[in-house]
Formats: sequence, C-alpha cells, structure tokens
Amino acid sequence: MGLFASRKTRFVDTDILVIGGGFGGCGAAYESRYWGRDLKIVVAEKANIERSGAVAHGLSAINCYMGMQWGENQPEDFVRYARGDLMGLVREDLIFDIARHVDSTVHNFEEWGLPIMRNPETGRYLREGKWQIMIHGESYKPIIAEAARKSAEVFNRIMVTHLLMDGARPNRVAGAVGFSVRDGTFYVFRAKAVINAAGGASHVFRPRSVGEGMGRTWYAPWSSASAYALLIEAGAKMIQMENRIVLARFKDGYGPVGAWFLLLKTFVTNAYGERFEASWMNEIKSMVGKYADVTPLPTCLRNHALLQEVKAGKGPILMHTQEALDTKEKEEIGWEDFLDMTIGQAVVWASQNIDPKETPSELITSEPYVMGSHATCSGAWASGPEDCAPADYQWGYNRMTTVEGLFGAGDTIGGSAHKFSSGSFTEGRIAGKAAVKYVRDHAGAPPRVDEQQVERLRHAIFQPLDNFEIGSNEIVAGSVAPGYISPLHGLQRLEKIMDEYVGGVSMFYVTSEPLLNRGLELLHMLKEDMDHVGADSLHQLQRAWELHHRVVTAEAVTRHTLFRQETRWPGYYYRADHPKLDDAEWHAFTASQYDAKTGEWHMTKLPVHHIIE
Amino acid sequence: MPTFTYMTRCDGCGQCVDICPSDIMHIDPIYRRSYNIEPNFCWECYSCVKACPQHAIDVRGYADFAPLGHSVRVLREEAKGTISWKIRYRDGRVKEFTFPIRTTPWGSIKPPSDYETPDAQALGSPMLAHEPAALKVATLPALPPFEQKQE
Amino acid sequence: MFTTNPFTQLTAFVPPAVMQGYIVLMVLAVVAGTAFDLLNEKKIQFFLQDRARAKAAAKRPLGAADRAAIATRTIAHDIATFGEFCNQQRRISHALMFYGFVTYLVTTVAMVFVYPTDTHPPVGLPVLWNIGALMTLVGGYWFFFFLRVNVVQDGHPPWRLVRADLFIGSLLASVTFAVLFEWVAMAGNPVATRAFAGLYVLFTTLLFASVPWSKFAHMFYKPVVAFQRRVEEADGSSDLPTPTTTGRERCPPSHI
Repeated sequence: MGLFASRKTRFVDTDILVIGGGFGGCGAAYESRYWGRDLKIVVAEKANIERSGAVAHGLSAINCYMGMQWGENQPEDFVRYARGDLMGLVREDLIFDIARHVDSTVHNFEEWGLPIMRNPETGRYLREGKWQIMIHGESYKPIIAEAARKSAEVFNRIMVTHLLMDGARPNRVAGAVGFSVRDGTFYVFRAKAVINAAGGASHVFRPRSVGEGMGRTWYAPWSSASAYALLIEAGAKMIQMENRIVLARFKDGYGPVGAWFLLLKTFVTNAYGERFEASWMNEIKSMVGKYADVTPLPTCLRNHALLQEVKAGKGPILMHTQEALDTKEKEEIGWEDFLDMTIGQAVVWASQNIDPKETPSELITSEPYVMGSHATCSGAWASGPEDCAPADYQWGYNRMTTVEGLFGAGDTIGGSAHKFSSGSFTEGRIAGKAAVKYVRDHAGAPPRVDEQQVERLRHAIFQPLDNFEIGSNEIVAGSVAPGYISPLHGLQRLEKIMDEYVGGVSMFYVTSEPLLNRGLELLHMLKEDMDHVGADSLHQLQRAWELHHRVVTAEAVTRHTLFRQETRWPGYYYRADHPKLDDAEWHAFTASQYDAKTGEWHMTKLPVHHIIE
Repeated sequence: MPTFTYMTRCDGCGQCVDICPSDIMHIDPIYRRSYNIEPNFCWECYSCVKACPQHAIDVRGYADFAPLGHSVRVLREEAKGTISWKIRYRDGRVKEFTFPIRTTPWGSIKPPSDYETPDAQALGSPMLAHEPAALKVATLPALPPFEQKQE
Repeated sequence: MFTTNPFTQLTAFVPPAVMQGYIVLMVLAVVAGTAFDLLNEKKIQFFLQDRARAKAAAKRPLGAADRAAIATRTIAHDIATFGEFCNQQRRISHALMFYGFVTYLVTTVAMVFVYPTDTHPPVGLPVLWNIGALMTLVGGYWFFFFLRVNVVQDGHPPWRLVRADLFIGSLLASVTFAVLFEWVAMAGNPVATRAFAGLYVLFTTLLFASVPWSKFAHMFYKPVVAFQRRVEEADGSSDLPTPTTTGRERCPPSHI
C-alpha cells in the first residue's frame, strides 16, 4: 500500500454464508431462501457469479438424471453404478440422497430456461447414456446464476481465505474472512451457518502442458482447492483425499468423450487400428479381482488399459470420430459437444486441420485432479440424510461436516461421487435446507467471532503484498529475489513435487512409500516457504492464497496416499509397494484430521456401509 | 487457447474485466484497453469473448500445441437466445454452427421467495423445494432404516 | 463577462504573431506526432497489411457506391454520435468532450487569427469558446473520476496516473488553466494572469507535443477502423459468425 493509503475493513453479518457461487453454491442459495424467507443469505464469490466455476464455458450434457417420471432409472441403481465405478468405496447414503432429488433439480432447470434436447420418437429427454441427458448448455451457468441472484445477496470478486471459528465454543464455525480482489478491502463475514461450496483442485499435480497450455487443464484453473483447505485448516475430518481422478480425454484440449462414446457410438483403437481394452482384462482381474467384472467397466480400469497400451508403445491412442459422423445432425452434435463446454478442443481441431468427419483424434490420460463431484469423491466427512443414513453416518444436520455449523456441497463433500452439475446443485439444495434448520434450531445461541483471530488473519492475508514490496528493494529488477517467491514459483514447485513423488504423469501415476515420504519432506519445506510468497498486486495476492489452499490440500492427498496401503484405483494411481487391491484391510474410507495448533495429522479408517444390495 | 484483444476494436469498456472467471483480463496502462495478463491461467472459456460488445477479443490456440492460422469466433445473441460459431481452419476450411442457449426470457426465473411459504413442519422432512411435484413422481424415494451388521 | 475575447489579455505580454505562430506549431506537432506514431513502430505497415488481407478474403467485393454508403453510415452513427459505445454514460461523456473541444479549438483559432486584439469580437465566439471549454471539462472530469475503466473495473484510485492518462490529463489541465486564466484576467490580477497563462501554455504544449506517446492520435484512428470494420462485415471478409437475423443486437445486455 502507498504511504497515504489505508486498508478498509468491511463486516458483513449474515445468517447463512455460502462460500463459492458455482453450482453447489447456487443450489444452496436457492434452497436456503425457499426455506428461510426472513433470513439473511450471502454468497461470497471469488470471481463473477455469472460465469464462475467449472461450468464457465457451459456444458453439453447433464450427467446425473434418473428419469424416474418415465421409469428409466431408480436411485438405488445409481448408487450401485457409482459404487462400482469407485471400486466399492462410496457413501451410499449421500449418493442415494442426491439421486432421489436430482430429477426435481433438472425439471427446475428446464422450467428456468435450460434447453434440454428431446428424443423425437419418445418425447423424453434425449439420453446420451444411462444416466446422462443432452442439453444445449452454453448458458447453463448464467441461467443458474440468475436463480442465485434472486435468492441471496451476491458479493463478487471476494476471495475467502480462511474460516473463522467460534471464540467461545470449540469446533464451531463463526464465519469467514477474505479480501476484495478489486480494491483490497478486508472482509469479515460473521455467520450463524457456513456452506462451503468452493472448487476442488486443479494444478496440484503438474499438468502435461507447461507453457501457455498450463491454462488448459481439464478442471478449471480457478478450482484452487478452497473446497478442502478451508475445511482442513478448521479441523474438519476429511476422507478419500488419495482418490485423485485421472481422465482419458481428447489430447491437449481435454475435450469431453462422453457424447462420442455413448451417443455417437465411436470406438477407440491403438495406432495400428486394434481395439485393445479386452486384451488387458486378465491383468486387470489379477489386480482388482471381482471389481473388474463390474459393468460398465470402472473409469480407472479403462484408464489402466489405455495406459498399458501406451506404455507398450502402441500409441497414439485414437478415437475414430470419422466412423460416427455420417449425418449432418451427428456432425452438429459432435461440434456442439465441444463448443458448449470445451471450446479449446475445437481450437485444436481448427489449428491442426482435424476434421472429425475425416480424421481420428488422439486420446490421452490427463494429469491427476482432486475433486468430489465426478468419477471421484475426495472431500469432507459429512452427516447424511436423517431418514436413511446409518447411525454412524449422521449427526443431526444433512451435509454438515464434523465442524458444527459448517456445511458443504459439491466438490467439498467426500464419498458423494458422480454428482456432476445437477448433483452438485442438488447437494447445495440439501445443505441449504439443512443450514436453515440449523440456524433456526440455534437461534438463541449465535456464534461469537474471536476478535484476536480476526486481527491475526487480517495481518496474515495481506502479508504477501508486504513481502514483495519490501523484499523487491533488494534486487534491481526481474523475478528472481532471494527473499521471496512469486505465487507461480510456488505453484510450479508444488506441481513438480506432486508429479514426481505422489504419482503424476511423469511417473505414469506410480508412487510408493519412500517416494511419498520424500514428497512430504519437500512439501514441508514448501509450506515453510509459504511465509515468503510475494504478491505484487491484488491479482497476485489471489494467486498466493490459491497456492496456499493447494499446498494444504496437496499435503492431505500425500498423507492419505501414504495411509492407504493398496492400489484401489489402478488407472488413477498405483502404489508400487502395494500393487493389488486389498479388500480385507482396505475396504474402508481413509480419514484425516489436521490440528492447526500442533501441525499434526491424525489418520484413521472409517467403515464403508453398503445400505443398498 | 488464450485470449487476446484487438487494438483497433477495443474501446476500454471493461465488460471482459468484469466477467473473467480467472481474473486475468485487465486494463493496460498505455492504451487503457484490455489485455490478457496471464495466458497460462486462461481456460479459454470464451466468457470475455462472448461478453465483449465490440467483438474485440479473440483466441489464439495455446502455443504449446496449436499451430497458427486458425480462428474460432463466436456471436452470442443473448436476447434472441442463440449462439453462433464460425470456425476457420488453418487450411482455410470454414464451418458454421448455431445453437439455442435459453428457452425463456432473461430475468424470468421466479424467485424462491415468491412461492408460498412452506410450513414449519416441512423443514424437518427430507423433501426439497417444490417436491414431490417437481420430481414428477408421486413420492420422494426412501430406504428402509439401515441395520448395521456385525463387522 | 464571458462575452469578451480572453486572448486579448495575453497580447499584453505576447505579440499576436507569436500566438498565431504557436498555434501553427501545435498543428504541425499533431501532424508530425501522428506521422511519427504511425511510422516509428510500423503501425501503418500493419494497418495496410491487414487491409490487404481483408481485401483478399472478401467474398462480396464492394463498389464505390457501397463504400460511400458505408462511409456515410460510419460518420453518422459511429463518429458523429459515438454510436460504437454501448455504455451510455461513456458515450455521452465522449460526445461532450469531443464537441466541446472542437468548438473550443475552432473559436480559439478564429479569435487568435481574426480578432487577436479585439476585446469585443462577434459575441458568439467568446460565448462558444466558454461553452466548448465547459463541455470539455464536464465530460472530461466526469470521465476522469467516474468512468475510466481502470478506476471503475480494475480498482485503481482515480489519482493513480498511468501513461494512458497523458491525453485526458493534459487535455483537462490545458482547458482548466485556459478557463482559470480567463477568470483571473477578467478580475484584473496581473500576477495570477501571468501564472495561469504560463500553465495554460505549458499544458497546451504538452497536450499537442505528446501525440507520439498519448492517445491523442487514436481520435484519428478510430473513425478509420470503424469504417474498416463495417467494410469487413459487408464484404464477407470478417471471420465473425453471421448474425441469425438482420438488425442484430448491437450491444449485448451488460451484466455489470
């Protein structure tokens, strides 16, 4: 700050604070307003709610829709599907809960104006696959954002960096702090209930493209792990943080493959035109046993087959789009699939002269991501639905974490796989309603913010600006200074550590105990260096706190990967020292809790209950 | 494929700065026009491209893997509810597409507080807003209580 | 009060020939500055190259009549009424600044060249001079404090000056000191008159001499590129998609 400028502080008192204005946050805003007409509800969004989050481009399909009205699917079937895809380890109660509500979410979306494609013969939604329906989804996010703006007061360009805890009662949330990315105002949100609906984690592992191309991650580059770090630092119990996801997608642009496989019925071969998945099944069976018999074949196992083929030197792996686009209508669907949600793949085609009607496209497995709303379920241990969750899976309020008053939705919640957009919005709704109930039940005893904690955080949040301003006096110019690192420096160090030691692409996703322990040593030094991140602008200050959230999350990922002594999801990652699936010991959730005061991590196992046959 | 701004088209209105989910479209200090300050954090979501009233923003594929000479340009006609794309290949081929984006007028979503207030008892049930009607089935599915086997 | 020629006060210490020579010098500075800007960094080469590329890509080559019609529409819509601006406040403030400054300049030239020592020229001249100055100041200060995009969208405080402020800053300073000079001269304060006259000349010189480094020349480029944009839409060389119907949405709804 200049000599004559001073930092403003703004206090916002609210009943419910929603962190993150993506699909989870918008669902939370809508539902909490429906049930809490008189409540003050605030959404704090790091960017602009109109296009923020993973659905910034739009989407070409809704991947979680039962179609109960037409008898197409029942929630129990969806649980079996998600359980199979995650090799048996999911929170069946949470998934059932989402699956039974998601149809009403999708019907609301259509009423609001989302164009859903119809099957001309049956009049029903056009199915891409068993669980997926096709949409004209370019404006999916703006439509949902409109609903959120009509439900809550939205604060755009406010990055939440830390949760606030109750000064009087332990383990109870009292709000959050952050700053305006535009004018640097320090924000203190004092809330009776907090719903964390922030993004999961991209850029924890080094991406395949490292120049400009590092922007083209599969998951949004602005998904900076705030879903996890805010909770970890507040001491919430987290599960399955080792369950990172790797995706087989169109190479470089990471365009989606769902519509190509399921709707357009394309097929994949190696470079010599040979289909190869079946040839790896025996090996897969020897690694994971009965889990290889699941239909459809789990995502990670399909990855494994592709990886093995690549390692055998049979790449590039090709998706034969040219065999599927025999009508103009199909060609349009193929292009809209990209243009609605991954325009970069269209740019790859245009730049490399690939016409999908004539030429196949390369597929590749991506770098790993940590999130909770896709074919993966890292996140917080949360209380389940009161009417059907097992007794040890619930403690009073649906989607409340182990921290009182702190709820989660979307990537934040662990064990709740295959939600995608509609499921994340639905989980937001579930958390929103539960938060209203919590606020009403605790009306007489609101939390009290700890003034000292606020003051400490105010100092800590803006420290990187001082680090740069003071430290840059040591050098003439340039990016190399002995006293501080830029957020990008820190990010690239983190990504290299995770790639080389925790199973990134350069290791073909392989790690082991010695590698993981070395990774923890290097992460420890990186954590210490986090006190010396220098930000030369408010934009870089945002990057600095995104880095912080990623580093905290990366440590959780590493510790969970070390703790689970088996290879549960070959194709996502491999423990070279425990190469097989071990149901006897590890048919359980891995759980961690971080103690901010001591810096210790406490690892445990939690039981996996199969409430559905 | 990161974005860039055409010098001759940008009039410095700031719509792109306002919309960018990555906070990377900012105003340059020499011309007071927009530019991409961090292409390696550009997801090329095209939010800024669509928001620019002057069509001043375009995308050049990531230098890591996209050869030059291509263009993927868009026209989002929000009030009409359509989006149109024009793709020009490096070898000169052109493809054009138009798709719908919304079936209802912008601003027409009914706020949740405009619905009849739910009664206080319903707060304790598992049903969410507009259910069970919005599910288009008679009742919300449920499960029998889970009997924990000895493990 | 504002019906007298403000420049007669200057002739007390500056001969009319010098004032007139100064104006000619300033005009030359703008011409030279613009030429320098176009040539030094090869701007003109880029523009000519780009125009050739567009011409080669034209699908429906335009005739002279078409181009004349386009030029007329450009002048009438984009230039005269600043129709390119989708933000109405920016549009109005630019119109105020442009028409105000042009009025002020024309009346300045008229009074300095035709009536340099005449305290009472045709009353329209000094009145228009003041109105023009006032429009420039109203539009300009409004823009400077409330509409500059780096202040409104990028979070800069208004007093943080960057190179892009060279044009607006020197314009506002020049016209502000012109008006202040006029006031103190009418009030009959010799010391203040000289002081403000000096500042007036200083910032006016800065305004016109800084053309190679400021946004001044963009006033000339904008109409040319506006014309070029319409030509590319009409002759099919534009790589933008065709609007779905005619009468397309010129300005999409703002979500700010």
